[in-house]
Amino acid sequence: MTSNGEDSGGNTRHTAYPSRREVIGGAATASVAMGMPSGATAQSLQSVSGAVAFSVAVNVTVNGTRHALTLDPRTTVLDALREHLDLTGTKKGCDQGQCGACTVLIDGRRINSCLTFAVMHEGAQITTIEGLAKGGALHPLQQAFIDHDAFQCGYCTPGQICSAVGLIAEGRARTAEEIRELMSGNICRCGAYTNIVAAIQQAMGRS
Amino acid sequence: MINFQYARASDVADAVRLVASERTAKFIAGGTNLIDLMKMDVERPTKVIDITRLPLKQVERTPGGGLRIGALVRNSDLAYHPLIEQRYPVLASAVMAGASQQLRNMASTGGNPCSARAATTSTTRQRPAISASRAAAAPPSTGTTACMRSSARATPASRHIRPTCASRWPCWKPRFM
Repeated sequence: MTSNGEDSGGNTRHTAYPSRREVIGGAATASVAMGMPSGATAQSLQSVSGAVAFSVAVNVTVNGTRHALTLDPRTTVLDALREHLDLTGTKKGCDQGQCGACTVLIDGRRINSCLTFAVMHEGAQITTIEGLAKGGALHPLQQAFIDHDAFQCGYCTPGQICSAVGLIAEGRARTAEEIRELMSGNICRCGAYTNIVAAIQQAMGRS
Repeated sequence: MINFQYARASDVADAVRLVASERTAKFIAGGTNLIDLMKMDVERPTKVIDITRLPLKQVERTPGGGLRIGALVRNSDLAYHPLIEQRYPVLASAVMAGASQQLRNMASTGGNPCSARAATTSTTRQRPAISASRAAAAPPSTGTTACMRSSARATPASRHIRPTCASRWPCWKPRFM
């Protein structure tokens, strides 16, 4: 957790090798270019497909930093975070609101960022996994997840932790059973649920 | 997902005017159903009208002793509302039995019946895929959850909020209300 491969050591990797994200992005660009007549621009591509281009300005505060974005209205909060703000800690899992990997806090409430358009959140305060640690100190839930080994592959973990922050803020869960019920929107395919519940109980001060 | 024009309604009259201006316009509130269906190209609105800032988020007592629930009251706010918890605990339990807390924090009370999501499972098992326009004109399903489909009236205003669930897919959110 402390040495996140995507964030640390990035300089060496980015200069020596293209990252996975860069390769995927480059391949997508190439495939679009092949389908276009030479010299065609993005604008002409839109006119060929018959669609009209719309873009919307939106101001959001993410982890305390204000961002002024101009977005295609189809952009979900998840894609805005990952593709426009390079905050890739929030994960895209099912992209259908089932798995909870994309959970973030908007104005203090946990939501699935894959099922809401960014343009709907003008003026919102968004907190992602990157915004939980303060001054180099891990959030109590991040520390609790480490203490209890509450993950294996780690893909669901940012969503689990953001969801647990929301859970504690809601103040509705007292027992382990209630924690399990109210965390049911976060799927962990590794099956670390027992340790996740223990970590949340520790962070709630009920270990 | 096809591209669409985004508009934010400033008040109820503005929302009605915007939705009436374009036949394929849709309201968006919580978005948990609509965006899901838009991603699969089941719903293809050319204009999406954001009504989330309208003042429809209150749970109020009515003179007759009942409650009036605003269309934009989110599922979790509804379930945790003191009046609902005290007087309608079964409703609170029913809301909490559906979806996940993240979805309940988004989903609106009004959007839920309008999108007729609950009818998906019963209808798709009994008949093949139908277009959204045909679904709107179709008689009530023989399924157990005909929902609002049978009571929709063909008025200009209701045309835009009439249930038009035409998902070909089995309901992948079996716990969703």
